[in-house]
Amino acid sequence: MASVDIVNVKKSFDRVEILRGVSVGIQDGEFVVLVGPSGCGKSTLLRMIAGLESITSGEIRIGDQLVNELAPRDRDVAMVFQNYALYPHMTVAENMAFSLKLRGTTRAEIEQRVKRAAEILGLTALLDRRPKQLSGGQRQRVAMGRAIVRDPRVFLFDEPLSNLDAKLRVAMRSEIKDLHQRLKTTMIYVTHDQIEAMTMADRIVVMREGSVEQIGGPLELYDTPANLFVAGFIGSPAMNMLKGTLEVGRRTGFAAENGVFVPLPEAPEFAGLAGRPLVIGIRPEHLRVAGDGESGFEVGAKIVEPTGSETQVTAKAGGADIIALFRERQTVRQGDTLRLAPSHYHLFDAQSGQRHASISA
Amino acid sequence: MIKKSIPQEILFYLAVVFISLVVLFPFLWMLSSSFKTQTDIIAWPPKFIFDPTLQNYAKVFGEQDFLKYFINSTVVGGLAVGLSLVLGLPAAYSISRFTQKKLALFILLARLMPGISFLMPWYIIFSRLGLMDTYVALVLSHMLIALPIVVWIMSSYFNSIPVELEESAMVDGATRQYAFWAIILPMSGPGIITSVTLSFIFSWNNFMFSQVLSMEKTKTLPIAVYNFVSYAEVDWGGVMAAAVAIMAPAIVLTMIFQKFVVKGLTMGAVKG
Repeated sequence: MASVDIVNVKKSFDRVEILRGVSVGIQDGEFVVLVGPSGCGKSTLLRMIAGLESITSGEIRIGDQLVNELAPRDRDVAMVFQNYALYPHMTVAENMAFSLKLRGTTRAEIEQRVKRAAEILGLTALLDRRPKQLSGGQRQRVAMGRAIVRDPRVFLFDEPLSNLDAKLRVAMRSEIKDLHQRLKTTMIYVTHDQIEAMTMADRIVVMREGSVEQIGGPLELYDTPANLFVAGFIGSPAMNMLKGTLEVGRRTGFAAENGVFVPLPEAPEFAGLAGRPLVIGIRPEHLRVAGDGESGFEVGAKIVEPTGSETQVTAKAGGADIIALFRERQTVRQGDTLRLAPSHYHLFDAQSGQRHASISA
Repeated sequence: MIKKSIPQEILFYLAVVFISLVVLFPFLWMLSSSFKTQTDIIAWPPKFIFDPTLQNYAKVFGEQDFLKYFINSTVVGGLAVGLSLVLGLPAAYSISRFTQKKLALFILLARLMPGISFLMPWYIIFSRLGLMDTYVALVLSHMLIALPIVVWIMSSYFNSIPVELEESAMVDGATRQYAFWAIILPMSGPGIITSVTLSFIFSWNNFMFSQVLSMEKTKTLPIAVYNFVSYAEVDWGGVMAAAVAIMAPAIVLTMIFQKFVVKGLTMGAVKG
C-alpha cells in the first residue's frame, strides 16, 4: 500500500500536448477515479503511473519513491486493462501465477495465493480453463485476480467495465468497491462514465483536455461544481443551464437570453452579480411544480417518462429543453403547461465558466 | 448464396474443369512422363495410354546421388529458414511495435530487387573468402529469400496481437524481451508456420543462387535435375521423375499447413 503523488505532470506526443500540468495527491488506501470525456488524458495519466508512457516533465511518486525513470515491473503496481489482456495460451491459474513466477515465489506460496484470490473472486471452479472458454464477466474477474495475487502497492484500472453489458457492469461495480473495502489498497480507476465515478470513488478527479477541472468527493462535485464543465459532466440527467442576467429590483430573478424569466427570491449572494453575463444551472431534481400564488416560470411538457419511483419531464421553455425530475407522482401529460420553480440553483460566470454561488431558494 | 439454375450449374462446372485442366496439364504431363520410357515421351502423337515403368525413378534414386542432394536442400532450406526466424522474429516485432515503416520497406526492397543483381557480387565475395560450394554461402544467399518473408508475414501478424498483452506482462514484472518470449511467441504459431512453410518452399525451389554458388559438394535438388540435361540429349524421363520427387515434399508441406497459411496471410487484413 502506498500514496501516489502526481506533481505538475506534463505529457506531449510530438507537438501535441496531452497533459498540461496535472497535480493530484492520492492518499494511501484511497479509491480515486479519474473521469472525463474521451481524449481528456485520463488514460495517458494512468499509463504514466504504470510506467507504460514516459513523463515529459513533472514528477510521479509512489510512496516516497520517485518513479519517473522506473520500469513498469519495478513499480510494484498492478493494472487491469479494458480488454482484460489475459494471456490466451495460459489457463486461469497460470494467468494469475505469471507475475508470482517472475518474482521467484515458491510453488507452494503461488498455489496458496492463487487459491485465495480465486476464492475472493469466485473463480475456483474455472482455474483450469483458458480465457477463450470464459464469459466477459469471468474474464474481467480473472484480470482482477491477476492483480490481486500480487498484493501490489497500487491497483490501476483502465476502463475495466466498458466491455461488459449494463447489468454486469452494475454488479462488477459493487464487486470492485467491495474488493477495495476488503483489501484497503490504493486504487486509481479511469472511466468516462460519471455514474461509475460517483458510485465508486472516495474522491473524483474530473479532467478535460489535459487539465484537472476539479478534485473532490462525489457529493462535493455534485453540490458545488467548480465550473460549468464539472456541473454539466457530473449528474444524470444533466443540469439545466440557461444563459442570461440576474435582475434585482422591479422584478427579481434570472432573465434568460431565450426569453424565459425565472423568478428568484432575493439572496445576499446576488451582490455584485446583477447585470453581468451569467449562466444559471438548475439540476432536474431541484425543479418543483410551483403552488398556487407562488411565482414560477411556464414550460410546456414535451415528453413525460414515469419510472415508478420518479417521473422525468422534458419540457420546452423559450425554445430550450428543460428536464425536471419529480420524486412524487405527477399527473402531467404531454402538452400540459407547468409552472416550475427552482428549490436550489447555481450561478456561473458566462465567460470564465467559474461558479459564483450555489443558492437554496 | 444465390441458388444457381441447372444450366448455370453445368456451365460453372465445365468452366472449373477446363481451367483446372489448363492449370494442371503441365503437372499431369510431368507425372505421366515420369512413368514413361524415353520413346513413349517423345512419341507423336502423344501417348496417353502406355506401359508404366519405374526405370526413371530407379535412375534418379540409384545412379544419381539423389539422397545427398535431398539432404543438401533440406540443410540449406532448414538453416536459412531457422536463421531467418532468429533474426526476423525480433525484427518483425520491432517493426510492428515501434512502427518502423522505413526499415520494413528496406527489407521488402531486398526482396523486390532481382536476385541476379546480388549474385555477381556474392560470387566474387564468396570465392575470395573461399566459401564457394559451402553451406555458409548457400544458406546466406537463401536467407535473402526467407528473411523478408518472415519479417513481412510476422510483422503484420504481430500487428494483430493487442499491445496490452505485453504491457500487462511488463506491469506484471516481465522485461519487454521476456514478454516477447513468454507471451507473444507462444501466440504466434499460425504466423510462424505460415512464414516457415512459404520461405522453406521458396528456398527449396531456388535454382539461380544454388546453380552459381554450389558445386558437387553442396548441390541442391533443382540443380540435380539439371544433371539430366547433357550436351547430347535430354533424359526427359529422369528429369520428370526427379521433378516429381522434388515437388512431393513441397506439395505435402503445403497441404498439411494450407489452413495456417491462409490464416497467416490474411491475419491483420480482416479483424476478428
